[in-house]
Amino acid sequence: MTEKENNKKTEDAGNYFPVNKSYIKRKKIYNRIAYASAALAFIIGAFPVFHIIYSALIIGYKYLNWNFVSTLPSGFPIGAKGGILNAIIGDFYLVIIASCLAVPLGIGSGLYLSLFGKKRTNSIIRLLNELMIGIPSVVWGIMGFYIFSTNAGLGFHFGFSALAAGLTLGFIMTPIVTLLTEQAVNRIPASYIEGALAMGATKWQATKSVIVKAAMGGIFTAVLLGVLNIIGQTAPLLFTNYYNTGMPTGITGPGGAVGDLAMLIFIYIHEPSRILHYKAEAASVVLLFFVFALDIGMRLISWVTVKIFEML
Amino acid sequence: MAEIDNNNNININNIDKNNIDNAVDNIKEEIKIEVKNLNFYYGDYHLLKDINLFFKKNSVCTILGPSGCGKSSFLRTLNRMNDYTEGSKLKGEVLLDGKNIYGKSIDVVELRRNVGMVFQNPNPFPKTIFENIAFGLKIHGIKNKQFIAERVEKCLKYAGLLDEVKDKLHKNAFSLSGGQQQRLCIARAIATNPSVLLMDEPTAYLDPASTATILDLIANFKKFYTIIIVSHNIQQAGRISDYSGFFLNGELIEFSKSGDFFTRPKDKRTENFITNRF
Repeated sequence: MTEKENNKKTEDAGNYFPVNKSYIKRKKIYNRIAYASAALAFIIGAFPVFHIIYSALIIGYKYLNWNFVSTLPSGFPIGAKGGILNAIIGDFYLVIIASCLAVPLGIGSGLYLSLFGKKRTNSIIRLLNELMIGIPSVVWGIMGFYIFSTNAGLGFHFGFSALAAGLTLGFIMTPIVTLLTEQAVNRIPASYIEGALAMGATKWQATKSVIVKAAMGGIFTAVLLGVLNIIGQTAPLLFTNYYNTGMPTGITGPGGAVGDLAMLIFIYIHEPSRILHYKAEAASVVLLFFVFALDIGMRLISWVTVKIFEML
Repeated sequence: MAEIDNNNNININNIDKNNIDNAVDNIKEEIKIEVKNLNFYYGDYHLLKDINLFFKKNSVCTILGPSGCGKSSFLRTLNRMNDYTEGSKLKGEVLLDGKNIYGKSIDVVELRRNVGMVFQNPNPFPKTIFENIAFGLKIHGIKNKQFIAERVEKCLKYAGLLDEVKDKLHKNAFSLSGGQQQRLCIARAIATNPSVLLMDEPTAYLDPASTATILDLIANFKKFYTIIIVSHNIQQAGRISDYSGFFLNGELIEFSKSGDFFTRPKDKRTENFITNRF
């Protein structure tokens, strides 16, 4: 290489940009591959949902009418005639009882975790919560049986009843509400609470009138996901409530047991009767509809409440 | 005392010996906040080192310094906002009207009512404009609706915001522009009738026009409040403040009248900072 060429190269160094043509081609292909695999992952992931809706509708469609959701089961085997009103009413009982326990408990501990607790205690409580979410629901059922249902030994002796099942479901729901409430509050900018404290608010005043209002949407989502989680639980009900083909006469003791959509599907599908199999599929459509309606309804309520709270 | 003499333009030598007690009383009366041997630790890190200074009543003081020198932390020790920082520890005294705010008999809620604070980011609450200001009154137990309405209007007027928001008092505070939001925060801070206003870089995120409006406000507010501003904007500090201090690595390098501070800095490091060498 001559000295002249060498000098020229040094001069051009500032403007010189080595273009790798084959890499430019390849990077476009990589981009397409990434896009295609993401789309494929979504399709595979969403497939079961569409299959459930499709098959349930195909098999259960002829029972989907007003009568089905507004009458009690009758005939032989029980359920061959009539509808699933007992299960729908029972689900309302269970969700309301579970929420009575889990909403105050979950929101309370969520607020405590993110606002009042110390770092080390928090990490222990958080770990416990995650553990609780991981406990299989059948284990919760056994716990519920010993604490609430059984009539022997220590416990509340509620019998197989809505109260026993509702409280057990409440304990399943609590850690979900706790963790999601904590996350919702952590998303609120720290400047809100600082602003309130700097004006002389106590921590509780700041929490009550600034933080909870700002996090309201997130807290609603926390409760919603908790309810959606318990509405389909079957295993805990096996040990605490089982099933009632009629209307409950109370919430504890004999006659306190309620029907439940998930249990109904579980029981009907085990019966050697084609009609009951069809009805189980129809009931699963109703359950899916409730989940969907609950989701939309809660979002609507949360949207309206947030709007109202802004005015206060 | 030597410092006070320098900065207050009161020449002790000229005062009759009989009147010296009176003179000292006068100086004491004029001092709003006195910081004595303040040390602040964050975990093992010694953030503020042996700070000694005072703030005069109805004056504007600016604390200058590069990022991370502890000036914001210093400001937050004045209304005990550092209480909530985990792992923080404080030694020394902060006297507000002669009373140590870290003393045992101090009610932190009352202290923060008396020492208002405006933050770097405009941080209105997600409420209406009216409720943002009324909040400060409600948390102190005021329920009289007429009083609240009058006070809200007055605060908005002082903050120069009333004309702009008169028709939308019951709209969300986030519908305001950044500069308006910051003025709303100032209105909110004065609603509890404080005697001291702490401002943590109040104009850092604002456009020049909003900044100018807020600086004018600060100049007017001097009549009612003792104002302490943390800033890294040297020009601003020179324009509005009566006293200026310079922090570097947690130490107070210099604190004097702004005139002296900007024209005849005593310390080489202050001079370097003023001439933008940091």
